[in-house]
Amino acid sequence: MDFSLSKEQKFFKGQVSRALSRIVAPFADSIDKTDMFPRELFRELGALGYYGIRYPSDIGGMGADCISFTILAEELARASIGFAAIATMQCLMGTDFVYRFGNARQKRKYLIPAIKGNKIGTIAFTEPDCGSDLGGIKTRAVKNDRGYVLTGRKLWITDGDVADFVTVAATTDPGKRLGGIGFFLVEKGTPGFSTGQKIDKISARGAATMELIFDECQVPAESLMGEEGKGAKYLNDILSEIRIMIAGLGLGLAKSAFVAGLNYARQREAFGRPIGKFQLIEEKLAEMEVRIKAAELLTYHAAWLKDNGSLTGKQAAMAKFYSTEAACYVVDEVSRIHGAYGLAEEYPAQRYFRDARFLLFGGGTSEILKTIIAKDVMKRSDFEIN
Amino acid sequence: MNIIVLVKQVPDPEALVEIAASGKDLNIEPKFAINLFDEFALEEALRLKEKHGGSVKAIGLGGPKAIEALRTAIAMGADEAVLIEDESFAARDGYDTAFVLSRALQKEAFDIILSGRQAIDRDRAEVPQMVAQFLGLPHVGVIVKLDVADGKATAESALEGVAEVIEVGLPAIFTAQKGLNEPRVPLITGVMKAMKVQIPRVTLTDLGVSKDAGQKTSVLRYLPPKKRPAVQFIEGEPAQAAREIVRILADVERAI
Repeated sequence: MDFSLSKEQKFFKGQVSRALSRIVAPFADSIDKTDMFPRELFRELGALGYYGIRYPSDIGGMGADCISFTILAEELARASIGFAAIATMQCLMGTDFVYRFGNARQKRKYLIPAIKGNKIGTIAFTEPDCGSDLGGIKTRAVKNDRGYVLTGRKLWITDGDVADFVTVAATTDPGKRLGGIGFFLVEKGTPGFSTGQKIDKISARGAATMELIFDECQVPAESLMGEEGKGAKYLNDILSEIRIMIAGLGLGLAKSAFVAGLNYARQREAFGRPIGKFQLIEEKLAEMEVRIKAAELLTYHAAWLKDNGSLTGKQAAMAKFYSTEAACYVVDEVSRIHGAYGLAEEYPAQRYFRDARFLLFGGGTSEILKTIIAKDVMKRSDFEIN
Repeated sequence: MNIIVLVKQVPDPEALVEIAASGKDLNIEPKFAINLFDEFALEEALRLKEKHGGSVKAIGLGGPKAIEALRTAIAMGADEAVLIEDESFAARDGYDTAFVLSRALQKEAFDIILSGRQAIDRDRAEVPQMVAQFLGLPHVGVIVKLDVADGKATAESALEGVAEVIEVGLPAIFTAQKGLNEPRVPLITGVMKAMKVQIPRVTLTDLGVSKDAGQKTSVLRYLPPKKRPAVQFIEGEPAQAAREIVRILADVERAI
């Protein structure tokens, strides 16, 4: 049993932390305030090779394991949740289908430039009336002699306004629900594909969430990623990884907020001493420390299980559920430690407070995740040993 | 062009520091970083290599933790690194440090030695100068510009209100000041390479140096800094308040 990062992993974490605190963190506030896609920053991180981290070195990646990717997610979130949402989309969901199922031409055209930060990729499965219930999507893909015709609307699509290519979930057979879903690679500018409204939101600003509209959008047959009807399975293959990554984001955000709270508790004086010396503030610090540590253990344990080939869906669900809820708890307590300053624009506490909510939905809501956990529990007679 | 960079691992600038109960030691939160000024030195070495060819080697002295600063050098692009491993050097003085480093450098072939102008932990700014003395090499300190051509270097040294342009024959030792360059952020592939690289370690015995090589100074005790006096508010009309500030700065604090 060994609970520590290896020396190499610690070094990696230190380097990534240092790089992102220099490159990204100084812009966290302006990304949040302007709610604009930070294009220059996006390119800069691409040039440093960050978006290819999960992919093999022969296509410009570094073949990193899940622990390293989780470290990256955590450090990205420590710097800026808005930017972290963009960067992790690029590293994982936005590019993974073309990596797994794209042909050589598609990889050359989309994946390789995306890894370098020269093209932006995103994924679209959520719809106005359908989120957790993926089997209920209404976007249709109808086969014809030129490929497929896509019709439908997608909502809450990260980077939808700037993405150069989108992996879109559509059903070829609505009656089959999950068994009818396929993923299609659609390039920006394809006739029939347009962006609709932007959803102004209070969290993860900078990563615009958009409506995408497909109006008889003709795509070639090669746009289908993998096979018809297997989309849900393909998504499931990376779902645990997505959940561990978001658990990493929650962890990073919680740590940033905690440090802000800790510093404030040290500096702010009331009744002649720093407020951190009062028991009720100490209680908050202790609670936060324990929850962050618990989130850290669950998150990295799940990543470790993934790397060792023994991850279950429940482990990833527990990590995502606990870590993101811990983040929401921590940002609330940090806001309280700040008193009225927790609401002041000049302090980051209000940004952390808003940003934490972003983590509750993507990758499965806490409610869905608890359902997964409970279903697993019901299959057992006792606690598992691991 | 072969360049050697002297690299020190220092406590992270944000690490908490307190004086131990004995008053003779410091308790430093175990968070470490490469010395800020050494990063400028490394960056300059890498730029010189990119321009003129050759190699960059980073040398560090300290306990096993110091290997991380050397890994950072590899991640940034240094060709090789070596750690002179001896835990006791966290507490030894600049003379001793410079002596050991100079012994190691005698075994190396180089045109240029670069180092930070000072380490941000003890701020003594003495080791590179003493290394230069031990090796009988010229030293140009606190540089903000460095050009190399025809076996000579032209460096700009930052002085109070003026830059001094200095020409020096090579080999020579230079210490880097803030403003010399903007240190690069390592490529992720560089970080991966640095994670895996085996950094060789040598001991004082390997260098033929005895443990008590020649420490000349010793720390008696640490004292806490003086408490900063309370903030003084100056009231009144702006013109009158300004006159009062000038009076305090000139007559009371003698700052101007």
